[in-house]
Amino acid sequence: MEPQLPKCNNRATLVDLLDRVLDRGLFLRADLVISVAGIPLIGATLSLAVAGTETMLKYGVMADWDREIRALPRKRLQRRLAEKATAA
Amino acid sequence: MTTHQIAPATDKAAMYIYCVARAESNGVFGPIGLEDKPVYTIVAGDICAVVHDCRPEPYQSEDPETAQNWVLAHQRVVSAAEETFSTVLPMSFNMIVHGHAKDDAASNLQSWLAEKHDKFTHFLDKLTGKAEYGVQIFWDRQLVAKALVQKEPKLREMRDEALKKPKGLAYMLQQKLAKATREAVETQANFYVEDFYARIRQCVNEVRVEKLKKADGNEQMLLNLSCLMEKGDSALGNVLEEIQETEGISVRFTGPWPPYSFVNVG
Repeated sequence: MEPQLPKCNNRATLVDLLDRVLDRGLFLRADLVISVAGIPLIGATLSLAVAGTETMLKYGVMADWDREIRALPRKRLQRRLAEKATAA
Repeated sequence: MTTHQIAPATDKAAMYIYCVARAESNGVFGPIGLEDKPVYTIVAGDICAVVHDCRPEPYQSEDPETAQNWVLAHQRVVSAAEETFSTVLPMSFNMIVHGHAKDDAASNLQSWLAEKHDKFTHFLDKLTGKAEYGVQIFWDRQLVAKALVQKEPKLREMRDEALKKPKGLAYMLQQKLAKATREAVETQANFYVEDFYARIRQCVNEVRVEKLKKADGNEQMLLNLSCLMEKGDSALGNVLEEIQETEGISVRFTGPWPPYSFVNVG
């Protein structure tokens, strides 16, 4: 199966790109990064129409805290799957 | 320390950082940045950061098209950097380093690169020759449920029994069947997730489990993975082709991506 290359004008891969660029990648040290009122802010409000589904993404939280909270169930699932895969 | 462009005006009191790479060349990329800003590199020893000069404030917009263009520009620069440096560590969006009274943005950035030198070098070595690929596996839940009711004797019997009974009793049996079907579907989902994950895990260097997303229509996302593997390796593609042959299953395979999902230091 050939991978679908991330093209700029492809709606579907735009969502994949947003997941990566807004949520992952390297983070700059908190004291060095430009923030608003001392709070590190990823200030992009995005409204997407993806195949008829309207998705509003709003980021305005402490980047580290947000990542930690949202990673919780994922880490557990990751651990469980990794264990099963090694046992397999 | 190495030289860099000194920035005169307030329009350059900060720097937007796109990615980190080995300082193999003096990259001057031209006006390909956000808002067509000229992109260049800041060097610290044997690593560098790809940047553009900007005001000391984050990029914020209520207009979706503007925000989208910025995100696309970010990726455009990271891609261009990948072509020059072959391996890069992409930054998240809006990572802007500011300057103080004492140290300008470039100095702060160089200090940060120096501080992270070993960590970044470790990542650059680990990621050389590799790329990230996205794998999302969906299923048609209704289709699978139907197939299970047909296939599993207990469920099929329940369904056939319900057809024979009068209204009230039939309803109760339908409810029982619905519950039993739900449980069978859940079991099937768990089986698929574990099986697919194991098969994918075997043919790549590293896998990250990502959050499930809402899908369209009858499709439900079962698995959302970021995979790290040798660029152009075909093993994963082959496994996904096999997986896609499973009834009710469909696969989305994207890439190669710069390794956004594999540079989280922490």
